[in-house]
Amino acid sequence: MADMVARTLRITAPPDDVDSVHQALESVWAVVPDLEPRDRMSIETAVIELTANVIQYANRGRAVSFALTIVVYDDRVEATLSDSGEVDDVGLHSRGMPDAMAESGRGIPMIQALVDSVEHRRVEGFNHWTLVRAREAARDSVTPARGMPSVSISGVIDEMSRQRALEELGILDTPPEERFDRVTRLATQLFGVSGSAINLIDRDRQWSKSMVGSFPSEVPRSQSACAITIETDQTLIVPDLSQWEGHEHIGIPGEFEFYAGHPLYAPGGERIGSFCVFDASPRHFSEREVAMLRDLASWVQQELSVSQELSRAAEVQQGLLPQQLLSMPGWDIAGMCLPARAVGGDFYDWYPVGEGAAFTLADTMGKGIGSAIIAATVRAVLRSAARFGDVTGAVDAAAAALTGDLDSTGVFVTLFHARLDMDTGEVTYVDAGHGLTFIAKQSGEVRRLRSTAPPLGIDIETEWVAQTESLEAGDALVSVSDGVLDLYAGVEEALESVTSIVMLAESAEEIVDAMRARARGVAPDDVTVLVVRRDAA
Amino acid sequence: MDLVSIQHPGGITEVSLDGRLNMVTAARVREAIHEAIVANSPNVAVDLSRTSFLDSSGLGALVWGFKAAREAGGDLRLVSPTEQVKLVLDLTNMNSTLRSFDSLDEAYPRG
Repeated sequence: MADMVARTLRITAPPDDVDSVHQALESVWAVVPDLEPRDRMSIETAVIELTANVIQYANRGRAVSFALTIVVYDDRVEATLSDSGEVDDVGLHSRGMPDAMAESGRGIPMIQALVDSVEHRRVEGFNHWTLVRAREAARDSVTPARGMPSVSISGVIDEMSRQRALEELGILDTPPEERFDRVTRLATQLFGVSGSAINLIDRDRQWSKSMVGSFPSEVPRSQSACAITIETDQTLIVPDLSQWEGHEHIGIPGEFEFYAGHPLYAPGGERIGSFCVFDASPRHFSEREVAMLRDLASWVQQELSVSQELSRAAEVQQGLLPQQLLSMPGWDIAGMCLPARAVGGDFYDWYPVGEGAAFTLADTMGKGIGSAIIAATVRAVLRSAARFGDVTGAVDAAAAALTGDLDSTGVFVTLFHARLDMDTGEVTYVDAGHGLTFIAKQSGEVRRLRSTAPPLGIDIETEWVAQTESLEAGDALVSVSDGVLDLYAGVEEALESVTSIVMLAESAEEIVDAMRARARGVAPDDVTVLVVRRDAA
Repeated sequence: MDLVSIQHPGGITEVSLDGRLNMVTAARVREAIHEAIVANSPNVAVDLSRTSFLDSSGLGALVWGFKAAREAGGDLRLVSPTEQVKLVLDLTNMNSTLRSFDSLDEAYPRG
């Protein structure tokens, strides 16, 4: 294939409108000076008519986003527009020109007259429009290429999978993190430049996860040098941005005159952004510096993978919480676990045992991955031990099994473990240093259950003693982790709040929801709640 | 788009459009033509020598203006359209309705 120039533009209307498309097209025409004026006018007019139609009709007048790709070959020009509009038929049927006095209805016939082929396909919720016009110079010798797939459509599909990979990473618009900031800080010192950034290319913007330098954390994609970097796997070095052919508008005299960037990848290999350094004046970048930049980029890459693995770990941990509701007529059970980080050391659990159920709420010292691993172990050990004995037997067996692990990691675990007889309402429990379980009576009286033993991992000689309580109609047993206390001024205030929540709520789920609303966004520690409520008579 | 209306002797209003006449600017053009007809006379000349782009919405505005001028007993004529505007007029067979002239004097000869 001969020479080819391709550009993809991203438009969201509003705020963009057809004038944004005109401006974008001008930047395309600027790099293909040999394109005949007639071809340029025809494809521009056709693209504008199509764009106007999509803006007006594709999303029934609501905002619509689309990608427009223009490819100029030596024998033809192709324009592909992909929009996310819900309307799958904008009416590209041949209708002919309307009457001379008509004030509308000429757009579609004009498109058909201006280009050699018009195609529409709907794929997975997207409309793909392709316009092809044979260039004047080649008009006599070449039949315009028709049909799919063309280079332009594959470019658009690449962009979509890229976007999806970026979103799955779950990093966009998250707060700054030291593990990324240290790399950009180090880079500015290492290279002696005015700035460094970790930039991700999201739809029509560049968003910076980390930034040293005086630029906003969000800029239009059209102004982004990193958006050019992600077009290939190569390190992009622009010693003098004012001399960057075709991208002269990206540099800012006196502020942004040098750029070097290396692509960053999603786990699936999609180029999602770039690690870059930049300076206020033009400069040389040596081979050695290129190698260092790549090393730093692979460091950032590792940190990005950790983000991805953490969010996987979070999914796994949430999966360990009981998914099934217990079928216990006359009883209502609910729970929640909000880790302060991606994963946490708290968990709750329940499962049927005999004529009732077993309940656990545990809090492993610390936060994050280490405590999550211990928490998963505690859950598994307790579950298997519960099959063979009563409450004390289960806790005893679990404590014995865990002793080695807890000793060697220096971690301890507070635990509330209970058995409920669903017929009598009798609750037998062991409280290992937890002390954050309450029984709220329907009358408004609330009682905190006494801790019966020290936490697991403190003293292997502990003798586990069970206590018994009774839940009557309308009573609720509420067990929480100490993260809940952080939401209040103290234990007394927490107790009061929990009491009023229990009195006002009509189900266990409502109690949990009220606590969740309180904790969301403000909890510094893992917040876990377990509620067992006996239906009111 | 910049839009300038000039009233010439002989009751002709010249409306000059500098920029793009498309769905973004069509309404303003309609207003300007309406105002010319109401305030001055129904003879309107639309100067398209600096109109870089015309699309079907913009063309709709010109058709609307043409009908309004005719109804008021006047006319709407185009002056020095650019290549792209000519292309659109040609494609849509609007040449015979919206007639183009090289200058204002040719559009509305004095005398």
